[in-house]
Amino acid sequence: MDSFLSGLVQIFTLATLIYMFAGSIAGIIAAAIPGFTVTMAIVLTLPLTFTMEPLQGIAVMLSVYVGGYTGGLISAALLGIPGTPSSVATTFDAFPMARRGEPGRALSLGIWASFFGTVISTLVLIVAAPPLAMFAVKLGPWEYFSLIVFALTIVASLVGDSVIRGMLAGLIGLGISTVGTDPIMGRPRFDFGIEMLQAGLPFLVVLIGIFAISQLTSEVEDPKSVRSGNALVTGAIDFQTWQVMKEVLMRPVNLIRSSVVGVLIGALPGAGGSIANLVAYDQAKRNSKDPESFGKGNPDGVVASEAGNSATAGGGLIPLIGLGIPGSAVDAILMAALMVHGISVGPRLIMDHADLVYGMFIAMAVASLMMLIVSVLSMRLFLRVAEVPKWLIVPVVMVCCVVGSFALNNRVSDLYLLGFVGVAGYTLRALGYSLAPLVLGVILGPIAETNLRRALMTDADPTLFLTRPVSLIFLMLAVISIAWAIRGHLKHRKPSGRSTDASAS
Amino acid sequence: MSDAGYDKQQAGEAGEIARLLSYVLTLLASAGLFVSANAIPISRFEQLGAGAFPKIVFAGIALVALIAIVEALRKIPAGAYGRFARQTLAWAGRRYLVFVTLGALAVYLVLIPVLGFSIASFLFILGLELVLMPRRAATLLVAVIVAAVFSFGLNWLFAEGFTVFLPRGVF
Repeated sequence: MDSFLSGLVQIFTLATLIYMFAGSIAGIIAAAIPGFTVTMAIVLTLPLTFTMEPLQGIAVMLSVYVGGYTGGLISAALLGIPGTPSSVATTFDAFPMARRGEPGRALSLGIWASFFGTVISTLVLIVAAPPLAMFAVKLGPWEYFSLIVFALTIVASLVGDSVIRGMLAGLIGLGISTVGTDPIMGRPRFDFGIEMLQAGLPFLVVLIGIFAISQLTSEVEDPKSVRSGNALVTGAIDFQTWQVMKEVLMRPVNLIRSSVVGVLIGALPGAGGSIANLVAYDQAKRNSKDPESFGKGNPDGVVASEAGNSATAGGGLIPLIGLGIPGSAVDAILMAALMVHGISVGPRLIMDHADLVYGMFIAMAVASLMMLIVSVLSMRLFLRVAEVPKWLIVPVVMVCCVVGSFALNNRVSDLYLLGFVGVAGYTLRALGYSLAPLVLGVILGPIAETNLRRALMTDADPTLFLTRPVSLIFLMLAVISIAWAIRGHLKHRKPSGRSTDASAS
Repeated sequence: MSDAGYDKQQAGEAGEIARLLSYVLTLLASAGLFVSANAIPISRFEQLGAGAFPKIVFAGIALVALIAIVEALRKIPAGAYGRFARQTLAWAGRRYLVFVTLGALAVYLVLIPVLGFSIASFLFILGLELVLMPRRAATLLVAVIVAAVFSFGLNWLFAEGFTVFLPRGVF
């Protein structure tokens, strides 16, 4: 109790609260710029925290972290471009909702879902950090590979109009992930002597090119609409703060399920928000009475994605606090920040620095509240984006994409890659390919390959995938997931008949 | 590939042919990459070599592409192939702004290392705005201000605020 009170006192100082407030704003703004990730924002924050007290520094970084997960939804909802990889699924429903004239509701839904997702994950973090961390660390490469196989079956519900093209896009994503040095032995693959390809295709540049450039390009397809000065998003800009809060709370099952998915995925080292939002979305769609409306502006889709990705913030801290294993790049930076202050992160952290750990829990809760306040106060400003005409926003956001791609590695060659991927993304979009499975393939490919090969290096017996109980459970879930998806597609086909699939654009 | 004022069925058939071409290209590329994955040396320390996972993936791509080709061939009527070139040109004509935008982006990306981020971005934003904006005098001033802010201003912000230095060019 003394440690808890000590942590509380350290967080509730005026200086810490002001820093955290600034951190929330910085996180939201950074993540709202396509290509500027939460990780980048936290990396830029790290040097600023060197002069602060350890808990103060960590609290500021947690504010950037929590704010960043929310900021990604702004460009996802208003522009259809995921500000961060963790808001890919948010684009599926928030963007159509904004497009049909409800941009305020789309943003408000996402913000409240993020808030509740973070709060739920903080509660789980406090209660379950030690046992969950012990469980996560017991998982071997067999379980991880089976988990990724299960995650890949999500593709089945993201395929869009055509199952074949969805599968093809997912496999192309996996293929893209094999370019560059192999993750186990470091052998060069498919680099064709091009230096840029030797380290593999930078994921973020691929993400920006596939989603942002292709989306922006498709905005100018209709010359009449562009030249008439039409705004990107039209309709009533009404944030509907309290009404939407009730709307989110009226979906307790979806909210809690998505948050738990986020916590569990966040607790697994190597996974994170980029997977959690898709898994949570998929689960919401599968359990919905009206799965057809997903992808067309269903509020459940926005709630699932945002609660899922925000809950990983708490989940990711579980292995970090319990065992000193960072679950994601952001957690690794948080760990580095603690180490800079001479605090060793490991199983003894909670014993030696209990005040710090409790302070982190409190900081998470305070950060989510600050994110909510900043969002509610500033969202009207962000909604101004919706009033900007297409002829202004298309070139400006393209330049932001260029900056985001360049700032990642300071390489001009990444810009050429951006252009190439952008053209490829638009071509695929015009041909009616669903782009989400492609991105999922790029994310999951290296994790799947690493764990498959690691498992067979540890023991050549492939039956271990089926005889280890947790691995078997994940594989059975994968089979059930595929069967469920096939049933859904057959059901959908029966009433509507054969899809003509006429339009390519 | 369907718009108002055009024969939707013919545009749809042309779209299906375009998709068929994409499946064929995907099949050829995956077959080629599958073969080149064979050339990746296998380590004696592991059961699966560096080429095993890519081979599984590219075999999967080839298989799905093959199924897609068969399905597409069943859908496309014989007469549609003769109309493909005309329909494609018509589609491209309707979306000429897409090609202008992508062309401008390509030129911009090539010019960044030469002119530097600020000048190249100013020219790109202003140029594209002039192409896309409604023809009104008042919008020109807005266009110039926005181009200046998001080129020179953005460069300044990243250099001074984040110590991220964007390309300066050769001049």
